[in-house]
Amino acid sequence: MSVRLRIDDVAWQVNGRPVLSGVTLDVADGEVAVLMGRNGAGKSTLLDIVAGLRQPTGGAVHIDDRAIGDWDPRARARYVAHLPQAVRPDLPFLAGELVLMGRYPHTDRWFESDEDRRAVEQAMRRTDCWGLRDRLLETLSGGERQRVLLAACFAQSPQLLLLDEPSTHLDIDQQLHCFALLREESARGVACLAVTHDLNLALTYATRIIVLADLRVALDVPVEEAARTTDWLALFSPRLRLSTTPAGRPWVSYS
Amino acid sequence: MTRATPTARWVLLFGVAFGAAALVLPFVGPFGLNLENVRTRQEPDWSIFVQLRVSRTLLGLFAGGALSLAGTLFQAMLRDALATPYTLGISAGASLGAVVAIWLGWQQIAGVPAIWVAALGGAAVVLALVVGAALHHRRVSSFSLLLSGLAASSVCSAFILVIYGLVSTTKSFSISRWLIGSVDSVDYAALGGFVLVVVVTAAVVMRQAKAWNLMAVDPSWASTRGARVTQLTLSGYGAGSLLTAATVALTGPIGFVGLVVPHLVRTRIGADHRVLMPCAFLGGGVLLAACDAIGRSVVAPSEIPAGAVMAILGGPYLVWVLRQRSMS
Repeated sequence: MSVRLRIDDVAWQVNGRPVLSGVTLDVADGEVAVLMGRNGAGKSTLLDIVAGLRQPTGGAVHIDDRAIGDWDPRARARYVAHLPQAVRPDLPFLAGELVLMGRYPHTDRWFESDEDRRAVEQAMRRTDCWGLRDRLLETLSGGERQRVLLAACFAQSPQLLLLDEPSTHLDIDQQLHCFALLREESARGVACLAVTHDLNLALTYATRIIVLADLRVALDVPVEEAARTTDWLALFSPRLRLSTTPAGRPWVSYS
Repeated sequence: MTRATPTARWVLLFGVAFGAAALVLPFVGPFGLNLENVRTRQEPDWSIFVQLRVSRTLLGLFAGGALSLAGTLFQAMLRDALATPYTLGISAGASLGAVVAIWLGWQQIAGVPAIWVAALGGAAVVLALVVGAALHHRRVSSFSLLLSGLAASSVCSAFILVIYGLVSTTKSFSISRWLIGSVDSVDYAALGGFVLVVVVTAAVVMRQAKAWNLMAVDPSWASTRGARVTQLTLSGYGAGSLLTAATVALTGPIGFVGLVVPHLVRTRIGADHRVLMPCAFLGGGVLLAACDAIGRSVVAPSEIPAGAVMAILGGPYLVWVLRQRSMS
């Protein structure tokens, strides 16, 4: 395994109020690391820092052993894709045009090549939205738009996928499909770091669970270990219980 | 998805309209020209044709193009459907410069009409102030550009009102005449310089069309797809300001073309800026030149300023187009 992302003692504060402090973690190829925590724990902030959208107020981020500031923006965009929590719903673009934008760092041509179009078609078929390619984004439902955004990230063919709540707005079948895709990507050597609030999706599909609480990493364990212990559930709510399904899988329920 | 063929067809269509307008519109005016006299270069038809009509038509074509391209650019950059070339205060700055020149009675600066120089100077001052105010830790956000632009615009308009109250009746007439904005014939040296500036700037803007697509989604979206957002925003603001200031210096502030043309073209051909930008440029030019031709013909020998014709015809048309679109 090679480390794709190294976060070293990263701090972030806004107007003197600390949001993250001393955050250290690595993500390697083949991993689906799930980043969890309560509202305001700094999950999206950490993802933004890794994506280069915010400058950390302390610490360093290395992508593929190179400091994030030393990357050429286009080269970085070929290596890292970032799925935002949302985009404006009234964008004037077609779904296919938005996915095509994922190819921006890959081509200097004025119009995209056949290879770019193939990558777009493949990505849209995988996230089940190829049929929406000629629809205006503003006419899509929230879940359909989310699949289009996900396709745009896949079309970017990155080595490191940063996903801010990829399963928002998706129906249950599509949520499962989405996380299965992340497993597929990781099997091909991509490193995935995904924010989610769904503990059962995380326990089912992640290889590793990271929890942010009180400004830092409160838990960072392989999923098998998370399934064995229960005390970490208190980081989310006192009302969570971990049990086992008849099929022998870990399952979080509410009491 | 946009493919090269329909794209080329749209640009070609708008290009043909642009060329046709350049050929036909000089013959439209308060009185008809005798074609035979123009062909054989007989006076006065030949002089009217070359000195007045052709230069005026070309000015209308390139001024309309510059304004509607600047509008398209600012709408993408600010992600604001109501953005116009004037949103960021450039036009108000240029107007204040021109008004100061009229107030102080400047005639010429370095052999060039003082109003043009002063208008460009005013625009440059506003540009520097707005960028200076919006630049923060070597980053610039479109939101702070928008706010400081609006502030600069209000301040300039206030100073124009102050000066308006101070000057004599003759000068206040010149000021209001200038502030209405109109396409008038200009000498060919000025026209040549203007066209050169517009064409070069437009080429710089359109070269970045793919990046403007990303910016129209979101600056973060653009940044994580490899665009240099701060550089793009500053160069876009600079280029848009140059297009606007150069135009306003020659024509005064002509409203509406920069707002309405981008929307009309976008609803028709989509938002891919690789197609949208050239088509908006060509379409805006045709529209302004045509409105000017109408304005100088219908109430001859009086004239309706091109901007007024554009608003009277374009306003209802835009509403109609948007209604059609929401019904379909």
